[in-house]
Amino acid sequence: MTAVVAKDLRRRYGDTVALDGVSLTLETGEVFALVGPNGAGKTTLVRALTGTTTVEGTVSVFGEDPQTVDPQRIGVLPQSFSPHARLSARELLEYYAGLYDDARSVDAVLEDVGLVDAADTWYEDLSGGQQRRTCVGATLVNEPDLLVLDEPTTGIDPAGRRSLWNLLDGLADHGVTILLTTHSMEEASRLADRVGLLANGSLVACDPPETLIEAHAGDPRLTVSGSFDEDVIENLSMPAALGPDSLTVHGVSPTDIGAVVEELDAAGVTYDGISWAEPDLEDVYMALAEDVDPAVTGGRQREGSAGPRSIPGQGDGEQAPTEDRS
Amino acid sequence: MSRSSRLRAEISAAGRAFLRRRTAVFFTFVFPLLLVVIFGALITTESGGGLFTENAVYYVPGYLAVVVLFTPLSRVGSEVARHREDNRFEKLATTPLRRSEWLLAGTAVNLAIIGIAGLLILALMVLLTGAAIVVTPTSILLLVAFVVAGVACFCGVGAILGSLTDSQDGVIAASNTLALPLLFLSETFVPPAMLPGWLPTGLSPLTYFSRGTRAVASTPGVESSVLVDLGILAVLAVFALLLGAWTLPRTD
Repeated sequence: MTAVVAKDLRRRYGDTVALDGVSLTLETGEVFALVGPNGAGKTTLVRALTGTTTVEGTVSVFGEDPQTVDPQRIGVLPQSFSPHARLSARELLEYYAGLYDDARSVDAVLEDVGLVDAADTWYEDLSGGQQRRTCVGATLVNEPDLLVLDEPTTGIDPAGRRSLWNLLDGLADHGVTILLTTHSMEEASRLADRVGLLANGSLVACDPPETLIEAHAGDPRLTVSGSFDEDVIENLSMPAALGPDSLTVHGVSPTDIGAVVEELDAAGVTYDGISWAEPDLEDVYMALAEDVDPAVTGGRQREGSAGPRSIPGQGDGEQAPTEDRS
Repeated sequence: MSRSSRLRAEISAAGRAFLRRRTAVFFTFVFPLLLVVIFGALITTESGGGLFTENAVYYVPGYLAVVVLFTPLSRVGSEVARHREDNRFEKLATTPLRRSEWLLAGTAVNLAIIGIAGLLILALMVLLTGAAIVVTPTSILLLVAFVVAGVACFCGVGAILGSLTDSQDGVIAASNTLALPLLFLSETFVPPAMLPGWLPTGLSPLTYFSRGTRAVASTPGVESSVLVDLGILAVLAVFALLLGAWTLPRTD
């Protein structure tokens, strides 16, 4: 069963294209993370899906127009949202709960977002993380079926972030559909069933994180730090790239690390340190975002990245189509 | 959840938010009282009417207008700007609360504040200037009706200003620019005889407020012109509130 269907969404602000034919479907109970550079169109897409801006194309939420769908069924946290500064966390949740036909117990929401001890503190006196959790709490008072969170963990410390992730996991387990935008690839990997990468108003990739990593992130890599001559690469049996202060060897599995070290030792190469990394969603982001707009990554891959364009002898990284792949 | 429950939630939150901004509360009440003390008592003329030449009761609309005009314009306008800057309207657009309900709740909070300030002004005028204000059940009822209609009208105008300007600073500048000419050219402090004949004072909602409250405060009984003034002000209030609610932003 689908919660959200968006087809061919387009929106311009003057000469700037915010959305350029985006199509997207969210299944009920799915957690979908929307990532992309600043200005890619994430917030415009979120606003289009929540009916708070108008776009070309069609959007339906639970089969209805987002502007007429029962507000009881959706909870929205806008980007950079800030409520009344001189109301306590409890008063704020009571306020938002008071706007709905059927609201949860405010005490239960306070417990969910870990603010029981700070419930009576004014919003302006809460820490940044507590403020953000209050805002998330305000989206939960009506027990929504669809939760739309625009950068929910911005400003939250690691412990608070993990607590919020656990909360979102629990909501997803109970069938709540969650759409979130984030700049944290760790968050997207940790939470999302599918990740959509938006760049220049287009959805350039949309798949489960592991599928994206497999398709776009490249191979595991060994990064050797130090200063090297150019001919050091000739002594290695695996593809490698030389950086200003490092040598990156691509396609190195954990069991290959010893062999590479032996080759370096045999060639009399000295180095400062070695680190090994698996490809992750951040590599996908850097590879695909740069494909669309090199300015996003400053025209460079992530340091030590094994992105598809950096490996000699490999073809260009495949760019995912824009159309809905759900 | 009924509309009244949503209004109650909004009024409660907006009222608490205002009362906890202590400097805003302090100056909301002190500003008009200061004007009464300065122009009504400290600076006097032989006629005993304060800075100006009419009887003290003539200036009841003027002093009331200070709060009925300035407070809604600046408070509602600033609140709209603050809501927009903090993306609160975007959040509210996804709740059952309608924009008209938000503005009605804000108007109710302003009415409570201005009602108290108005009472203080009237009491101070009687004490300091000896203004002989007509006090009958009908005159009190009519004064309340004029204040309600005036506050509602300027809350609507404040919402329009807040929606059209791009910042809280802009709201304050715009509301002062609009309010000062309105205050002095709407038959409040300056008698019509002293104003140029070509000046279209009838275009200002405050003119009907001034004419009506002056007649109520100074003349026993109800003149038909009072009801006409109240009717016009009420119509303008409804129009301003509707337009104000319509202009409130959703997102962009």
